[in-house]
Amino acid sequence: MIKFPLLIKNFMNRIFFVLILIISSIVQGQNNTIAAGEKLTFTASYNMSGLMTDLAQVTMETEEVNTSKATLMRLRCKAQTYNKWDNFFAINDTYETYVNPANLNPYLHKREINEGGYFKKMQYNFDRGLGTVKSVKTKKRKDGTFWDEKKNLIIGSKTNDIVTTIYYIRNLDIHKAAIGSSDNFTILFDNEETSMKITLLGKETISTKIGKKECYKLSISLNNNDVLSGSNSNLLWLTADANKIPVYAKFKVPVGNGELKIQSATGLKH
Amino acid sequence: MRVLVTTLSIILAIIGLVLSSLPIGYIALIPIIIAFILGLLAFKLSLNDNKNTTIIKVVFAVIIISLGLAIYNALKPNEIIVNQEAIEKQKQSDKETLEELEDIEIED
Repeated sequence: MIKFPLLIKNFMNRIFFVLILIISSIVQGQNNTIAAGEKLTFTASYNMSGLMTDLAQVTMETEEVNTSKATLMRLRCKAQTYNKWDNFFAINDTYETYVNPANLNPYLHKREINEGGYFKKMQYNFDRGLGTVKSVKTKKRKDGTFWDEKKNLIIGSKTNDIVTTIYYIRNLDIHKAAIGSSDNFTILFDNEETSMKITLLGKETISTKIGKKECYKLSISLNNNDVLSGSNSNLLWLTADANKIPVYAKFKVPVGNGELKIQSATGLKH
Repeated sequence: MRVLVTTLSIILAIIGLVLSSLPIGYIALIPIIIAFILGLLAFKLSLNDNKNTTIIKVVFAVIIISLGLAIYNALKPNEIIVNQEAIEKQKQSDKETLEELEDIEIED
């Protein structure tokens, strides 16, 4: 018997991770790719009994946020199951990071997971000067009450949260990289630093909902982590233009495989 | 033989009905089609043996219902439900986040 809730939960838990595996930053430079007001919409599908089944909508949005002292940019990624799945296993996850719009340095990261009654919230307050992160994890007890776990983490100078990492890749000078070249990156996820390797496999032209696009084909893999399976089984296609939009991703996890396909892209900088 | 075929068609029709209620209703087509073929065979065998065919007619009714459900679920469009409560919650969360960010000074 197929355990649908388990499959979907595993799938959704890893969906952002998959994006990250593929998308990682090499150098944190000036942001000349991401503009406030951008919105990318994807369909996430999972292979069930040999057929790709659309499970959820994933959106990536950017917005300018003003405080009395600064102008920041909010990077928000959301995953929500389509209504036909809601009676079986409703998922509503939000990942967001507030960054410096000039260089995408993160200040605050929030992650809220709502998956079939399971709730978890993570918050990271970055202090780049000290190389630390104040972490607050909030979970829900069975009686409906909440409890917090606070930690002070020491991180590497290039460690970033998952959302920032996803956007970083679009700032990379991929056109300068040689085919076959790779680099390692570090992501802070669930209070742990995870190392990831990204490799440029080449260029490919693929058909998408937003047209036929020439893309950079990237491979991602995690070191000392079994979230992703197979060699060159986790792939990401970024448009080979100034926007470097992620238009397609394929991933393989221990419980199966799936893909992300772009549906629309608006508010692009270029 | 007749009893075996009839029993199998009943079991597969029930499996088809259960699977057809899932969002991936098309998976139900496999047991539904097999149940239909076995149902036809069971119906023919029952007529040859002059046995009651009521149970097989019930199986056909279940098959038709399952097929309808499977097609409905397979063709149902993918939609995202956004409720007002979620929007308000997000606005409140954004407001609280903004307050947390008040002390931040951007480094160039």
